Formats: sequence, structure tokens, C-alpha cells
Amino acid sequence: MESRSGGGGIFSRNNSGNVPTMRGLVSFIADLRNARARELEEKRINKELANIRQKFRDGGLNGYHRKKYVCKLLYIYILGWNVDFGHLEAVNLISATKYSEKQIGYLAVTLFLHEEHELLHLVVNSIRKDLMGHNELNNCLALHAIANVGGREMGEALSGDVHRLLISPASKAFVKKKAALTLLRLYRKYPNIVQNEWAERIISLMDDPDMGVALSVTSLVMALVQDNQEQYKGSYVKAADRLKRIVIDNECAEGYYYYKVPCPWIQVKLLKLLQYYPPPEDSHIRKLIRDSLQKIMDSALEMPKNVQQNNAQNAVLFEAINLVIHLDTEQDLMVQISTRLGKFIASRETNVRYLGLEAMTHLAARSETLDPIKKHQAIIIGSLRDRDISVRRQGLDLLYSMCDPSNAQPIVQELLRYLQSADYAIREEMVLKIAILTEKYATDVQWYVDISLRLIAMAGDHVSDEVWQRVIQIVTNNEELQVYAAQNILQYVKSDCHETLVKIGGYLLGEFGHLIADSKGCSPIEQYLALNAKMRGCPSSTRAIILSCFVKFVNLFPEIKPQLLQTFNAYSHSLDSELQQRACEYLALATMPTDDLLRTVCDEMPPFPERTSALLSRLHQKHATTSDKRTWVIGGKDANADPKEFNLVNQPTGLKRSFTAPISGNATPSGNGTNGVNNLSNDLAGLDMSIDTNKVLKAPNLASAAHLSPDWEIGYNRLLLRTEGVLYEDAQVQIGLRTEYRAQLGCLIFYFTNKSPFPMGSFTTTLDNRSSEHLKTDIKGLPDTLIQPEGQTQQTIMFEAKNVFADPPTIRVSYLAGALQALTLQLPVYLHKYMDAAELSGEDFFKRWKQIGGEPREAQRIFGLVNKNRTMNSEFVRRVVQGFRWGILDGLDPNAKNIVGATVLHTADGKFGCLLRLEPNYDTRMFRITIRATDEAVPPILIKAMEDRLSQGMEGVY
Amino acid sequence: MINAVLVFNNAGQPRLTKFYTQLETSVQQRLISEIFTLVANRPSSACNFLPLPPLLANSSKSSTPTTPHNDTPSLVTYRHYATLYFIIISTSTESPLALLDLIQVYVQALDGLFENVCELDLIFNFETLHATLGELIVGGVVVETQLDKVIEGVKAQGAVAKRPVNESKGGMGFAGFGRGDGVWAGR
Repeated sequence: MESRSGGGGIFSRNNSGNVPTMRGLVSFIADLRNARARELEEKRINKELANIRQKFRDGGLNGYHRKKYVCKLLYIYILGWNVDFGHLEAVNLISATKYSEKQIGYLAVTLFLHEEHELLHLVVNSIRKDLMGHNELNNCLALHAIANVGGREMGEALSGDVHRLLISPASKAFVKKKAALTLLRLYRKYPNIVQNEWAERIISLMDDPDMGVALSVTSLVMALVQDNQEQYKGSYVKAADRLKRIVIDNECAEGYYYYKVPCPWIQVKLLKLLQYYPPPEDSHIRKLIRDSLQKIMDSALEMPKNVQQNNAQNAVLFEAINLVIHLDTEQDLMVQISTRLGKFIASRETNVRYLGLEAMTHLAARSETLDPIKKHQAIIIGSLRDRDISVRRQGLDLLYSMCDPSNAQPIVQELLRYLQSADYAIREEMVLKIAILTEKYATDVQWYVDISLRLIAMAGDHVSDEVWQRVIQIVTNNEELQVYAAQNILQYVKSDCHETLVKIGGYLLGEFGHLIADSKGCSPIEQYLALNAKMRGCPSSTRAIILSCFVKFVNLFPEIKPQLLQTFNAYSHSLDSELQQRACEYLALATMPTDDLLRTVCDEMPPFPERTSALLSRLHQKHATTSDKRTWVIGGKDANADPKEFNLVNQPTGLKRSFTAPISGNATPSGNGTNGVNNLSNDLAGLDMSIDTNKVLKAPNLASAAHLSPDWEIGYNRLLLRTEGVLYEDAQVQIGLRTEYRAQLGCLIFYFTNKSPFPMGSFTTTLDNRSSEHLKTDIKGLPDTLIQPEGQTQQTIMFEAKNVFADPPTIRVSYLAGALQALTLQLPVYLHKYMDAAELSGEDFFKRWKQIGGEPREAQRIFGLVNKNRTMNSEFVRRVVQGFRWGILDGLDPNAKNIVGATVLHTADGKFGCLLRLEPNYDTRMFRITIRATDEAVPPILIKAMEDRLSQGMEGVY
Repeated sequence: MINAVLVFNNAGQPRLTKFYTQLETSVQQRLISEIFTLVANRPSSACNFLPLPPLLANSSKSSTPTTPHNDTPSLVTYRHYATLYFIIISTSTESPLALLDLIQVYVQALDGLFENVCELDLIFNFETLHATLGELIVGGVVVETQLDKVIEGVKAQGAVAKRPVNESKGGMGFAGFGRGDGVWAGR
């Protein structure tokens, strides 16, 4: 047990002296429990409130009594009564010296106050005192208070202290973990309080040996990652590595096994964090994740009898499934989960059915093809009739997401059938979804009109305005629908139909009634009578629509003008001012001497402008906002390719569309191949949307060449011409390097040795490759995160030259030794490492030299030694030239002092021949160097490195 | 994130209300009673999850201060133990099963602290109830899940008091809500 200072008393159930029981409180609670009726309880509470008010007013209470009364207030509050006084007394308790009083004070702060409460700035100083003090229990109380009520003001005042508690090597684990989440709360309230420089240190805490700290820090990092993906990308490797250590290496402290599952919470968090990044390019990290996922899947194969264990196991499993779906690259795993999910949705256990359907909805949102889901269509439709409404809802979401042109009609039929018996709570949402699907997958005129009108007829009151208005918009903008729609709506209006249909009828007949006037049963007078019969039973908004329809009739059907005028006349006496005004105006309009104005006013309505589907916006309103961004939304691949669904004009959900041709390939959710490729980047674009661009620009890439540590060049220069040696060394760490190059492949093995007498924690390497286009890196493994004194860990990284590259990569090495230590070093991976010395005869050499010719495939430089203290001799020059991997061709140059060389550069894109002529002048200490190569990119790069090296001369670096 | 943790008994009386997003007392009470109605009417065969009806979700959203990060609750995860309902209201981004496990840890921790905990313990020791929750959740996020550490953390604060003598266990018809593996009545 960790020793903790302070603390009110010794824990004991029979303590008699240390923590005095508050008798008054106990008897008050007992009184309330004995109150058999709500009124009696209220009476007792009011009596107590009056008493407490009096005591507080009188003042002079000692700590114990104040605590007792605050406790009573708290109890009253918990019972659900509003407590509107005593807050100040409660708040004052937090500066008490007695822990038990302080504790109640803090409890009151978190229950009574909120982040905008005016008393809050009175407590900031007390909280700061408790944060800075050495009593860890008080630290925790203060952290708790901030985590509950902290807003911007507190964040600005206290975030520094919270951060200090988080990173200080002196902080105990139980303080650290709370500090992490307190910082998270403050960050959510006011993101600017987390400074850019904190990133590396915070990420390093993910390696904390204490699982509680790791869990909390992971939660914090997860929030930070969503806004600063680039800056916190180091967390990805950490998460993958920690997951692997927990899942595969069983690295989990005894107490953290929850019913035999190693800490499911942190597993879930890590799996979630990994979903905030695109799939890794690095093969090793990919393998780490794949292995962990496979292990999770395998261990979930056995179904434990214990309910809790089953739960915990499934919690991890379902999050693992989400990650597999997110990665979308692991075919093997995808196949496994498809079959697994198929079983889940038919499971006898309700929780499993529920989660299975949810996971399948995620799959539908991301998967390239809907086929694996369609296999289960019958079961999914069956879930609409599940006994549990939660499951029914999930079923609805999934059906909505798995629709494509091939199954839309049967699914919509099923949904319509289910609508009749569906719970009231979900009808509106169902109507929306059916309406969207009907519109999206309509392939012929009749189907769209039939379904839409039937939907509205059936759902009646659950139809939101957006739905019926959308029907009108679609019909108006699509000529081929108009006749059929007008005929049908007239039939509805003639029958006993829902008021919403009357609204649509009023609009559509007013616009398109004349198109059907010659059909049987649709003559003007019949249209008029049908609508007029509905007038009486409808609310005034609908009547207003019908009146407007009638004025259009005056224009279209002069033969029924008398009847229309009669109606206007009647309504010009309506008590409803809106109706009265309309009737009067229409009457005047209709009885004007000429009908010029009437004709202008009642001209055909122009098509509606294209805009975002109100239906989709309405549906999205229903999606709750969360600060943890969702990585997918309900609604199939389309919705996810464009998370906001704003881009609707270009999609078949636009208002104007073809109903005659079946929807072409680009509308199918399972569409063409490019969809999948775009999807990932689009997804990220979706996540990135709220990134503060300033922040991104400010975020320094500490692994880059711009942040090289002092003395980096010593080792770099040493290893530029050698294959192994020490890359860096200081009092704490030694970094050795062994390299091997074969053609275009280079293999670097790093040896990190801890020279200090203390263990190094969170040992991390981060590679930065400026030439990533032409130099491919592949990390073969990660160093151990913990290095004991005298201990050593290794890491292997492969570098493949794809083509000619200029800038060597850099590496950031960081570790915790008390504070965070970090180095950034440049790696001696330079173009010449991929060269092999070549033997050439004199004849060949001169032939090729001429073939290559001068500029641009030649570079030449003349230079001297950097300063007077350096010397040069032929041995030095030869060694450097050989170090740069040239084959020296002796006897070719008439001047024996000059050096002629040849070499072949290997890259994945091809080999390049390179020729060298170096003319040293030992008297003037000058060089002239000429390089020709079969590719013009090569000579400048080689010449630069050789000049840098030769000009150093003999002392110092060699 | 976790928006709220609620505990109430079979009669709907709140025993613990802890909100991590701020709400007015009246809204809280409405939320509690509506959630109680929803949860109490579910058969025991139903799953432990309940999407928060949009109406409820919206009503609570309107009174939260508008910040760039707005956490709208959308999921109710609950467990029923003998006389008590334990309820977590959260956003859709939480893992529902992990929350279910969390409730179990909470109950086990209380059981460890009170030795065969029953509703009475929670009534008379609400500060311990809060202290225990504080060891599990900070600012709406899970902070610790290891049973021993949670219990140890509460004990270090010396906050566990004695149950009043005249209120004997099992009197008033409150049975302890089970303990030990296998006998957990919770579902």
C-alpha cells in the first residue's frame, strides 16, 4: 500500500473517537426515511432549511457544526431539492485544516457550483494552495474540484500547477492519474491551456508502469490527438506497443486483471486511439497491431461462463472489431469478423445482439462491399421485431446503412410494414430514414410517389415538416413526376386522409391540377370539392395552403370561378386574421377588371434551388455532438465518404434527378474502386476540420533536422565513411550504430546503452525522413521502453533508396530520467552508401566520361581547406575517396597525384554510373573535384558531401 | 465521456446523482425521473443499453453552456442490483460494455468498503459514495479500475463511517445486494 500523508482518521467501521459521527445528520436522515409521504418529507426539509438558514445567519459556527449543516444541505440536494443558500459556507470549508471538513467543502463545491458560478473565483486561491501543497490527499481534492467545475478562468490560473503534478517525477501515481484527467477537462474547456511543448512529455507518460496513470494519460492523449494529429503522432506507436505488451506479452499487474481479462479499459482506450489515425505505413507497427487484434479475436473464441468475464472480453472484442473495420486493410481479419458478426446478431444474449448490430453498422459505413452484410438481411430485418427497443433501433440504423440499389425496395417495404407497429419514440426517425432512402434509391416515377405518399399517409403525426416539403420540392423539380403525383394525391384527398397529405394536395393540385383536369374523376370541380371538403377539419395553416391553391384555380379553371369566389367570401369573415387577410386579398385579385395581375401572381412556380437536403440535415441534428469525434457516422459509405453530407448537389440526392434510368454506378454505395482509396483521406479530412491551423503551423517537429542536438556532427561525420561506430555519446547514453548496405537496401542497427546509474523510462525513437519520396524507411522493431542501468536495447531500421535522394534522415531519441531527455541526431544515410566501387579499364573510363559529357550531368568545384591548422596528404585523400565508395583507378591520369574513380549507385528505380576526377594541390592546399554521372541529380549531391569532408583536412575529425 | 452517474432505488428515489456536465437541478430531476421510467419498465431480458431518447438528449443540451466541445449524452448504460439501479449516461463514443464493467467495479468497491453493502449504507454515507466514485471517474473519464486501489484510495481519506446501530441490516426490507463471484445479482 502506498503511504499517504494526512487523512482524517484511521479507517475503521467501529471508530468511536477519530471521526465523530454527526448525530444531527444521522437523525435528520432517519427522519426523512421515516417520512411516509412526499408532503411530510417536504415539511421536514423546510423545517431543517429554516433551521440551517438561521444558524448560518447567526454565524460563529465552529468547523464541525458548519460541516454538519453543509452535509444536511448536501443530503437535501441529493434527494432532488433545490438548495439556494449556504453555498458560501460550504465553499469556506475547503480552506479548513481538518481533512474531513475540507473534504465536505470540496464535495459541496463539486455539487453546488458550476463553471460559471460567481463564487468560483473565491475558491481559486484555496484550490491553488491545495494543489501546491505537499499533502497528496489535498492535491487530489483540488484536482477533483477543477475536474468538476474548472472553466477557462481556472484553466488559465491553474493549468500550470496541474501540469506540474502530472509530469513531476515526485508525483505519486494516484496524483498523476488524476492530474492527467483534470488537464483533459481543462483542455476540453479551453484548448489553449495545453502548450505545444508539453506534447512529447505527455506522450512519454503513456509508458508509465502504473496502469492507472497509463489509462488516464491515454484518455488525455486521445483528446489531444483529435485536434493535433501531427503533433501527437508519436502516441500511435506507443499505443500499438502498449497494446501488444498487454495482449500478447501479458504485461499487466496482477490487480488489473478484471475477471481474467487484462485491464479491458485500457485495451479499449488504446484500440480507440488507434482509430484516430489512418492505417500505419510502417510494416512493423502494422504487424504489432495485427498480432494484437488476432490474439484478441482468438481469445474471444472461447465463451466464458462467467457473465462479467464475458462482458469484459466482449468490450475489448467489439472495440477490436471497430479497429479492424477502420484499418480496412487486414483482409484475413475482415473475413473473420464478418462471420463473427453474423453469429452475434443472432445471439441469444441481448447485449451481444445489440452490439453486433452496431458493429455491423460500422462495417456498412466503411466496407468496400456490402455483400457480407447482405447475407444476413433476413436476420437484420427480423431484428426490427426484437423484444428490446434498443435492439430494434440498432436494426433500423443498420438497415438504413446497408441499403443499395439492389435491396432498397425490399428494405423500404419492410420498414414501411414495421412502421405501423413501431414504437412512437422512433417513428419520426424512421419516417426520415424511409424518406431519405426512397428518394435516394428511387428508380421509377411510380415507386417514389407511391412510397412517399403511403409513408406520409401511414405515419401521419410523426412526419416532420421537412419530409412533406421535400416531396413537394422533388415533384416540382421533376416534370415526369407531376401528373402521376397529382393524380395520386387527389385520390388521397378524396378519401379520409391525414392532414399532412391535404397540405401536399393543396400545393400540388394548385400547381399541377390542370395537367390532370381531363382525366376521369379529376375535373376542376372535383378537385375543388375534394379540397373544400377538407377545409373544415384542418388547422389554419393547412387552410391557408388550400386558399392559395384556390386562387391558383381561379387562374387555371375560370369555369369554377363562382364557387371559388364563394369560398373566398366566406373566409373573408374568418376570425383567424391570417385566413381573413388571404381571403380578402385573393377575392380582390380574382375580381379585378383584368386578370393580368392574377396571371403574374399565379404563374407557375420556378424549380426550387438546389440545396442541402433538409432531410439529411434533420437527421444529422439528431446525431449528438461529442468532444470525442466519432470516426464514422450511421448511413453507409456515402455518408462517410463525405461526413457532413453537405456535398449533396452532386449526389443523386439532389432535387433534380432522373427517375427513368436506373441509378448509375457512381451512386451505388458499393461503387467503384476509387471510392475506397479516397475514403481514408476523406475521413481524415473530416476529422481535421476543426483543427486550428495556427496551432498546426506552430507545432514543431522535434525529430526534424531543424532541432539537431549540439555535437551531432561528430558521430555523423565519423560514420559517414565507416560502417560501424558510435553515433552519439554523453554521460547518460551511448548510441552505437552498425550498418550494412546491399545494392539499394541499407540496414541500420542501433544499440542504445544506458550509462547512468538509474533506469531510463519511456525510451522512444522517432524517425524523420525529409527525403521520404525517394528514400523508403521500414522500422523493423522498437527499442525496449525501459532500459536498466548498464542495459542495452536495439532497434533495426531499413532504408531503401528508391531513387536519388539528397537529405539524410534524422532521428529523435527521448527518454525519462527524472525529467524528459531528448536528442535529435542526423543519420549517416547518405547517397554514397548505396554505391559500389567499380573497376574500369582506362579505355572504358574515357569512353564513358565522354559519353556523359559536361553540364548538366557534370558538377565541378574548386575549394581549399577550411583553415590553416589543417593539413592534407595523399593517404588522407585516398582514404576519403574510398570511404565515399569510389573504386580508385590508378594509372589512368597522367598526373599521378590526381585520383580517378568510378562507382555504381544502386536505387530501386535503376543503377547510375558515376565517374570522378579529383585534383589535389598539396602545395596550395586546394582541390578541384569533377563528378560526372548518368543522372544529373547525382553529381551535386556527391560533390557536396565530398567537399564538406575534404575541406576539413586531417585534424579534428579523423 | 461520461455525462452522469446515477443511483436510484426501485422506487425511483435518487441515492446518488453525479453530473459531469452541468445541469440545473430541475433539469436533473426531470432527467432522473424520465430515465427511471424508461429503465424501470424494461424487462430483465432486455439489454443493458438504451439510446437516450432524442427529446431527452436535446432538453439537456439546451442548458449546457455552449462550448466548442459539446458533449451531448446519447447512451444510457444501466445495471440493476436487488433494490438499486446503477446508471451511467454517456456520449456515443464510450464503449458500452466497458461502462457496464465499470458499474460492476463500483459496486464491488462499495461492497468492499461497507462489508456486504446495502442501500442503507449508501443513504447514510453519501460522502463515501461520492469519494468512491471520485476514485473511479475524474471529470467524466475513467481514472482507475483496479479494485484494491479504489478501496485503498477511499480508505486513505478516512471517510467510511459506521452504520447507525438502530438501523439494522435487512430491517426495512433492504437486503444487501449480493457479493462474491457468482452471486452477483446485477445484470
